[in-house]
Amino acid sequence: MDQAKPAKSRALRVLGQIRSWLSQPSNIILLFFLIALTVLTLYPLLSMLTETFTIHTGREARAARLTAGTLSMYHFERLFATAENDYSWIQFYQPLLNTLLVSIAASLIAIFFGGTVAFLVTRTDLKYKKFVSGVFTFPYIMPAWTLALFWETFFKNVHIGLKTSNGIMASVFGVYMPEWFVYGAFPIALVLGLHYAPFAYILIGGILRNMDANLEEAATILKTSRGRVIWKITLPIVKPAMLSTLLLVFASSMSAYSVPVFLGSPVRFYVLSTKMKSLMDSYPGQAYIIVGVMILFGVSILLLNQKVTNSRKQFTTVTGKSGQISKIRLRKANRPIAVLLVILLLLFAVVPLITFAMESVIIKAGDYSLKNMTLDFWIGTHLEERLDQGDSTGILLNPKVWNALGFSLALAVTCALVAGTCGILVGYGVARKRGTRLAGWVNSLSFFPYLMPSLAFGAIYLAMSSRIPWLRGFLLLSLVGSVKYLPFASRSGVNAMLQLSGEIEEAAVITGVPWWKRMLRVLFPIQKSSFLSGYLLPLVSCMRELSLFVLLVPTSNTILTTMLMQYSEKGWAQFGNAINLLIILVVLLINYLVNKLTGASIDKGVGG
Amino acid sequence: MPEIILKNVTKKFGKFVAVDHLDLRIESNAFITLLGPSGCGKTTTLRMIAGLETPTEGTISIGDRVVFDADRGINLPPNKRDVGFLFQNYALWPHMTVYQNIAFGLENLKWDKQRIGNRVRELLEMLHIESFEKRYPSELSGGQQQRVAIARTLAPGPKVLFMDEPLSNLDAKLRMDMRTELKRLHRDTDSTFVYVTHDQLEAMTLSTRVCIMETGVLQQYAPPLEMYSDPANLFVAGFMGSPTMNFIDGRLHADGTVSFGHLAASFKGPDGFVPEEKDIILGIRPEYIHIGPDGELPATVYSTLPSGMETTVRLEADSLALTAVVFDDVDYPVDSKVLYSFRKAAILFDKASGKNFARGSLDRPHAV
Repeated sequence: MDQAKPAKSRALRVLGQIRSWLSQPSNIILLFFLIALTVLTLYPLLSMLTETFTIHTGREARAARLTAGTLSMYHFERLFATAENDYSWIQFYQPLLNTLLVSIAASLIAIFFGGTVAFLVTRTDLKYKKFVSGVFTFPYIMPAWTLALFWETFFKNVHIGLKTSNGIMASVFGVYMPEWFVYGAFPIALVLGLHYAPFAYILIGGILRNMDANLEEAATILKTSRGRVIWKITLPIVKPAMLSTLLLVFASSMSAYSVPVFLGSPVRFYVLSTKMKSLMDSYPGQAYIIVGVMILFGVSILLLNQKVTNSRKQFTTVTGKSGQISKIRLRKANRPIAVLLVILLLLFAVVPLITFAMESVIIKAGDYSLKNMTLDFWIGTHLEERLDQGDSTGILLNPKVWNALGFSLALAVTCALVAGTCGILVGYGVARKRGTRLAGWVNSLSFFPYLMPSLAFGAIYLAMSSRIPWLRGFLLLSLVGSVKYLPFASRSGVNAMLQLSGEIEEAAVITGVPWWKRMLRVLFPIQKSSFLSGYLLPLVSCMRELSLFVLLVPTSNTILTTMLMQYSEKGWAQFGNAINLLIILVVLLINYLVNKLTGASIDKGVGG
Repeated sequence: MPEIILKNVTKKFGKFVAVDHLDLRIESNAFITLLGPSGCGKTTTLRMIAGLETPTEGTISIGDRVVFDADRGINLPPNKRDVGFLFQNYALWPHMTVYQNIAFGLENLKWDKQRIGNRVRELLEMLHIESFEKRYPSELSGGQQQRVAIARTLAPGPKVLFMDEPLSNLDAKLRMDMRTELKRLHRDTDSTFVYVTHDQLEAMTLSTRVCIMETGVLQQYAPPLEMYSDPANLFVAGFMGSPTMNFIDGRLHADGTVSFGHLAASFKGPDGFVPEEKDIILGIRPEYIHIGPDGELPATVYSTLPSGMETTVRLEADSLALTAVVFDDVDYPVDSKVLYSFRKAAILFDKASGKNFARGSLDRPHAV
């Protein structure tokens, strides 16, 4: 009797603790996401790992002389240690070296270009600043392959690559560029570097803009020269951001797929991602090993980045009192620099669009006279009578295109809604329970998909879906998209929630406002623009996404981006250019609309 | 009006003990201040009573309702405790107007529109902010925001009102005004106030009882003037009062004399006080050190801080450094010679434990 009593009270006590723990919505949310994210990230990863040891039916089983379904180390031996015909060198080591080379070059280009512009815009009295900073983020909003396709269209000629037709450079100016300039490592690195330069601009510029001007003024008062201030004060403060940019651009370039496909494949220049894709059909086991290697690289680089930004002096960028920074006067150099910059920006932000429009209306490649132009590729009918290849109607009359556009939009909206909402909830849970172990886990898990290259992430979901029969089509695509874009949304969610003091919500708790009403009526309206950018980023990213979905779409016609790939592989240049332009316009339009309607903007998020 | 009782309340954050076995009884209609340096657990205590924080141990009851009991698994949510909470940074919802901020809580109580309108107007009037009804919080000054926050908290008519350093974001003059208004409000609303502050002057002036805490442990719980004149230990004595009490190392002898520095005096303790030989710290309030021609001991002026109403004088007398307060608009030249004497109360603290063990007076200290 005496023993039963304390036992009963202890049970009551524990029950009470559990009940009060569960009475807090933040705890339930965290628990839910802990379970959901574990299943959605770790399970596909494990499936992928299993695939690397499994012999698959078809060519793989025949080549290995093993029955399908056997577990073996065959794929590893074959990919890493086969000297015969230089197999390992061609299939793995050469692409790995290419990847490293291209990624390092791209990150240096991005930092140099983005950092310089960031400095010019924030720290000097440069002319046309508004235009520069407005147009500079364009390439980042546009799909990654835009510049690649532009580069190819502009410089290609009949002597190199697929030797199909002359581009503008050759046909209009009569200049035939050498192959290394048009295809391979050089253009891939350059295009990736330019594509990610805005990212460097946003990161470094953000620090420069928010940096307390007192820091520099203090040095100026102590009679430090302008140059020394930049060298000794400004640069060291920006250094973590630069290092961070370097690592992030490296990781993104490493996993880039579309750019090397357009600029590498025609001359059999492979990087890990393109190699993986080409192995996937016949030798999935080896392809999954490459996926593993890419994930290892991606995860370790980004963990390194977190270490750099967290443990090293992450200088606080709180805006100081003095907002007026004395800008460096460029004097005579001002106009030349500004004009050069504007021309450069036009060249890689506006000219591509014009080129795509031109290329989508000319009948015979290389002839830019008005006679040779037609709108058939957009709105023509019965084209099979006039063309020897391609569709029979222009893209705007082609139901396949409209279906793909509808599917793309539905997918983007679904992913954005799911990722955005989950991001807010994760942000709420993490911010409310900051410092607890549970919040820490959920925070890291929700960031985990960011660490994985898109193509690889698509691959591990491919591996998982092979085990779950009902996980197909739209469901699979929207699931992979939502999980992959969750980091964007959860970052902005966590930041937005952390900015709100807990008291704002507690003031409503005290008066008995239910949880859902606190979220809808109090928290959401206050941080509307940050939350909306959590929806916007997935929306825009999803519309232009290729690498994440390319392995998963049932047929190439399913979404616009894969359709573009298909057309470009078939060599249907005009249709391809028209679809490309369509995608870019849709992306820009969505971005513009959301920006206008909500004030949310793409450069508020983490980017990636 | 409800009485609040805390029994054995402990709060741990991981290994850190924020509040340690706290027992507290807050009488109905009281104006209680939780006082202490930052990190002493006063805000945590307040939040536990309000239900915003869950204690690790103990029971809390408000009126005849047990709102928290760790052993019985009871934990009422904040909105069921019938309390109001005024936050340090006001926590006004920036996207709602003054009217909406005040009305929002009432809408949740399912009041009808007419009644809400009347109540909001009543509060606006009471706090003299009628003209700001349609403004947003960002369009108000700090003091006006403070009034809106008070109105919002008072709107549902809570029986108990909790305030977490509500005046610390205001400038000195406004703070003074709001203090008077809060004290008046306490009377007019006829409810129990629990107030957190680190400002001893605020605690002194506002409350009916002060609860002073350090590192999660209750140091003393008494009416402010009692706490001022008879502090339980060195910590309380040092915390209450500005300028701070003089603490002088000394020794108590069995014959009842106290020796300190170059001086000695016989100590007249309370009835039944039996002196014993031990090291002590002698505590003397600055206002009990009198400076004037009728003083008995010589000293040199080290520096002075005249404020108009009073002047704080730092004296050097042989090895002693003493702080005195003179209530007059006087000043003394630095390094000038003055005469001083000890008046009224002196307190003896045990040097080892820091505890106050006798309150009495010094009889004619003289040089030895």
